[in-house]
Amino acid sequence: MSEPKSFKAVILCRSCDFVIRKRALPSNVRALCPRCDTALYDTPYCSLNGLLALCITALIVFFPANLLPVLEINFLGSVRTTTVYQTAVEVWGQGYWVVGLAVLASAVIAPALLILSILMQVLIIKLNLRSLFWQSVYRRLLKNHGLLSQMTMLEIYVISFLVSAFQLSDFSDVYFGMGTLSFTLLFLAILFLQREYNLEHMWSYVHVEK
Amino acid sequence: MSKNDNGLPELIPQYAIAADEQANETPQGLKMGLCLCATCKKVNALTEQYCSRCHSPLSARNYASIQQSWALLITATILLILANIYPITLLTNRGVVTNDTIFSGIAHLVKSGMFPIAIIVFTASILVPWLKILGLGLYLSAISFNIPISKRKMMVGFHIIEWIGRWSMLDLFVISLTVALVNMGQLLDAKPAPAATAFALVILLTQLAAKVLDTRLLWDRLETHDDTN
Repeated sequence: MSEPKSFKAVILCRSCDFVIRKRALPSNVRALCPRCDTALYDTPYCSLNGLLALCITALIVFFPANLLPVLEINFLGSVRTTTVYQTAVEVWGQGYWVVGLAVLASAVIAPALLILSILMQVLIIKLNLRSLFWQSVYRRLLKNHGLLSQMTMLEIYVISFLVSAFQLSDFSDVYFGMGTLSFTLLFLAILFLQREYNLEHMWSYVHVEK
Repeated sequence: MSKNDNGLPELIPQYAIAADEQANETPQGLKMGLCLCATCKKVNALTEQYCSRCHSPLSARNYASIQQSWALLITATILLILANIYPITLLTNRGVVTNDTIFSGIAHLVKSGMFPIAIIVFTASILVPWLKILGLGLYLSAISFNIPISKRKMMVGFHIIEWIGRWSMLDLFVISLTVALVNMGQLLDAKPAPAATAFALVILLTQLAAKVLDTRLLWDRLETHDDTN
């Protein structure tokens, strides 16, 4: 399969289909579409070792963040604690399963899958797994990365427990615990993971069979 | 800026080249026989059926996406109206049951003097959903009815909508945390109310409406409309 020469030098804007000549960029610079200002590409590089380290960090803090209570209130002597998972189950139990599912998906499931997906991708590249099976797994992971990345909403959750803490402090004592700390660390690990990750670069690792 | 013989302002060389390109060869990839893979953003020939890198089916333009996007947006608008009318939480305080809508919840926050929190909640649960629906409505109208608005500004607005939309989830997270923590029977008890489901669906549907839409359709009209501003 041979590609015409013009393909390599040219890219198309994903938002407006403008034809743009591709050129190398200095680091920390983004290319914007000259017609519609959509961010097109930046330095096509991400450190695999950095990704691996961040994945392992995120994986380690994931467990305390989801098993320990993130918020604790003391109302006239009766203490209530909750983990992120329990908040979803509680709402689901009241019959609002759409809300419960949304919370569960964006604060627990999507982050977990995102970490595992990136870990898997890095391992496939590192171990040089080139069989047809692993390559199709790799493609599938990359195809779903955008969705997982968009569904991960830890930054919003972190703001949420601050808002809740303020609201609840109106009539009870509110405490943060180790769970809150772990959850914030998980948010930071995933934030940096997403900053370091470059989808375009990961696509360049696909082994195209001739 | 210097004037030439015709009395017209002289073009800066770079712009002159851009103008030339637009005149001679159309800048749309579609006209040049190129097609971008929607999944992995690789440039493929229009003649291909599947992307050579990720093996996803290719489509030059998704014309049905306007209708899909409209349908999702209209459903979301109806649900957003319901989400604002019906109560979103049900609070029992010492035996007294009060229903709170999104708006009355914020009014309550303002009354108790928590302005910063009130602003955050107002932005996440009223401003963002409405702006998103109005913005998407304007964008879709511009494509469907050929409204001459600066495409560049529209595109910037669209990217802002895409990015900010997810922040509406804040309200649902706060409700779920409150419901899980505040459950002391008749003394003090918080429960979700019907508007919560409607609100969750609004977020889902508006995000889908933005994701489904093929924004390139707006720019295909470049030849029929002057868009220099």
